[in-house]
Amino acid sequence: MDAIVTTSLTRRFGEFTAVEHVNLSVAPGQFYGFLGPNGAGKSTTIKMLTGLLAPTEGSMQILGLDVATHLVDVKRQIGVVPEGMALFGRLTGSEFLNFAGRMYGLDRDTAAQRTAEVLDFMELSAQPKTLVTDYSHGMQKKLAMAAAVIHGPKVLFLDEPFEGVDAVASGTLKAMLQRMIARGVTIFLTSHVLEIVERLCSHVGIINKGRLVAQGSLDELRSGVGAAEGKMSLEELFLQTVGGPRNAVQELSWLG
Amino acid sequence: MAGLNTADGQLRAVALLRARLLINSLRSVRHRVNLVSRAIGVILVLAAGIGGGFALAVLTWEVTKSGRLEWLALVFWAIFLFWQLFPIMASAFNENLDLSGLLRFPLTYSTYFLVRLIYGTLDIATALGLCWLLGIFTGIFAAAPRLSLWAAPSISLFALFNILLSRAVFVWIEHWLSRRRSREIIGVLFFLVVIGFQLVGPLLGRYGESRSRLQLHVPAALLFLQQRLPPGLTSAALTNASLKRYSDTAISLLLVGIFGAAAFLLLHLQLRDQYRGQNPSEGKKRAEPVASTAVSRGWSLPGIRGPLAALYEKEIRYFSRSGPLLFTLIMPLVVVLVVWGGRKGFLTHQAGFALPIGAAYCLLLLTNIVYNSFGADGGGIQFFLTSPVSFRKIAGAKNLAHLTILVVDVSILWLGIRVVYQPPGIEAIALTFAWFLFALPLNLAIGNLLSLYSPKRIDYATFGRQRPAESTILLSLLVQMGSIAIGAVAIFISRAYSNLWIATLIMLVLAVPALAGYFILLWQLDRIVMRRREVLATELCKT
Repeated sequence: MDAIVTTSLTRRFGEFTAVEHVNLSVAPGQFYGFLGPNGAGKSTTIKMLTGLLAPTEGSMQILGLDVATHLVDVKRQIGVVPEGMALFGRLTGSEFLNFAGRMYGLDRDTAAQRTAEVLDFMELSAQPKTLVTDYSHGMQKKLAMAAAVIHGPKVLFLDEPFEGVDAVASGTLKAMLQRMIARGVTIFLTSHVLEIVERLCSHVGIINKGRLVAQGSLDELRSGVGAAEGKMSLEELFLQTVGGPRNAVQELSWLG
Repeated sequence: MAGLNTADGQLRAVALLRARLLINSLRSVRHRVNLVSRAIGVILVLAAGIGGGFALAVLTWEVTKSGRLEWLALVFWAIFLFWQLFPIMASAFNENLDLSGLLRFPLTYSTYFLVRLIYGTLDIATALGLCWLLGIFTGIFAAAPRLSLWAAPSISLFALFNILLSRAVFVWIEHWLSRRRSREIIGVLFFLVVIGFQLVGPLLGRYGESRSRLQLHVPAALLFLQQRLPPGLTSAALTNASLKRYSDTAISLLLVGIFGAAAFLLLHLQLRDQYRGQNPSEGKKRAEPVASTAVSRGWSLPGIRGPLAALYEKEIRYFSRSGPLLFTLIMPLVVVLVVWGGRKGFLTHQAGFALPIGAAYCLLLLTNIVYNSFGADGGGIQFFLTSPVSFRKIAGAKNLAHLTILVVDVSILWLGIRVVYQPPGIEAIALTFAWFLFALPLNLAIGNLLSLYSPKRIDYATFGRQRPAESTILLSLLVQMGSIAIGAVAIFISRAYSNLWIATLIMLVLAVPALAGYFILLWQLDRIVMRRREVLATELCKT
């Protein structure tokens, strides 16, 4: 049984089709990188998978449960860091994590204990009385990640988790994610930073203009069609799949 | 960029930027509605400027004719205080375009100074101040044309001093106010001042007859001080000129000029520091590291457990950190005190109705949070949408928090009425309770619906511009007025039979369908949320 399966998943906004007949398949324990250029449909897909958006057509199953009919059961088993981070600005970091833990059914003692542990792990315990709204962007990202994992989810959805996070914090987050993978958690991640995806993910899916154009293990895809000698880098694969950049330097001839 | 790389071009570019920002802001319906309200604001400002200017011209003409020009000091002080304080208070309620952002472009210091001075000066306080000073000059010119030769430089210098000082103060305070905490502090102070003004009349009415020695000394000291500051000096210059003491006039003008130069220097120093990137307030205080994390457990409430208790705790924490909400807690009491102090109000003669009327006012004050209950959650709505907790529970916990606030609010009111008038009678308490049993579920049920159908992001921490959507305001007012009217009709009927218990009975009967309706709607919320989740997330995640 796959951890995440979508069948002909489609989402339209009026005339515009953001996601078109996407068939995803993510096995349990996989670190799955979902790539695509800006506006390709990554966030729309992740929103549908996490219940933030209703699909126009198609179906989704997470851990064997149909998202449409068992949404609450699905939500109990997943953790989410959405695009907007989903934080409550006028709580302190520890109050927010405590709250998040209890919302996922942890008892008061467990929620408090895990809050303390995860705050220390994320190096967020230095400012216990600071409101979340006064946190830096990077700190907010770390807090959102902490809230997503506090209940020990089996599947983790991360929308651009490393955006605006410094190198030190990024290292902390990567270490945590790798530890989760080692323990059998499935991670579905979108990112613009191909190096991160290349280093962390075992499998990738590439979406372009709403359509899933490539899917498989990183090794399979890199040694696939078009790889002249040996394996392509993920960047080469990505550019080959979605189309390379225009020759901007030639167009802006006045640039020094 | 080369074509614009001159001071003239840069000034025009900034003017175009401001125009473009205004035009782009009209793309949405809400901003077009805001433009209409702004246009009404401009009309009001014009009326205040022209009307005030005309009134001051008449007043000045009168004091000039009667040879009592020293009284103009009061007017100059009023103008001075308005000119300096109004921009600060106004900026506490909204985010301002930070012109220091222009420093990334290759502006010379003189161009930057001019941009800050010219575009910063285009504000309501300066426009009104100039209108009113023009009115004063016109009054002097009409009453004593020869005196206007001295009035022109005196009033011009006073205007220049005000412009420079307000800019110098504003440049400093604008950066300070760019922080959330500072805006909150100024907002709270502003409303405390407003409350203070409301209480002046009642307090004077009650205690105005007793005077102490201190009260006689304070005005003398203030008089001494005012004569040595620009408003008093400007008034002295005009008074001395009318008495043909021209050397004293010249000294007063010189002193105003020195104050003006000092304001200029202050502005220059602040802008120069900003230009050089040496703004000392930029740096954030580094937090001291904490040895170990001590996390307190969440609240434990009798009869409420798990997510419901967590939600309730979160709501109460949000309320306790909201200046505007804490302000609403004391407002009913303030109103009762004001009515009591005036000694001529309705409540003085109908003290028995103080509690029901005050209680209705308490419910009215909760409109913003009851009818837009997810507004303050902002991006947190995504957390609710991805969490395994039903919206029935989320809304229920929010309503429980609303009820708590209302109970606290009414308790303060009850205490105030008990101290000011007399302890409310059992009939009034029962009537109030019965009316709440009817009105509260009705308001909460419709409030929950409107919170999902027309959500609007708000910030509990900031005063002003924190209104729900226009449709919500209209519907909530209809519901509030309807429930108050039903209560009034019940009281009217009971008075016809000289028995207030009849009104209580009517309200209790009406409470049954209201409570049933509330719970029926609460059970429907998750179905509605599934349909509305995209709108909710989009509206509430807007920054």
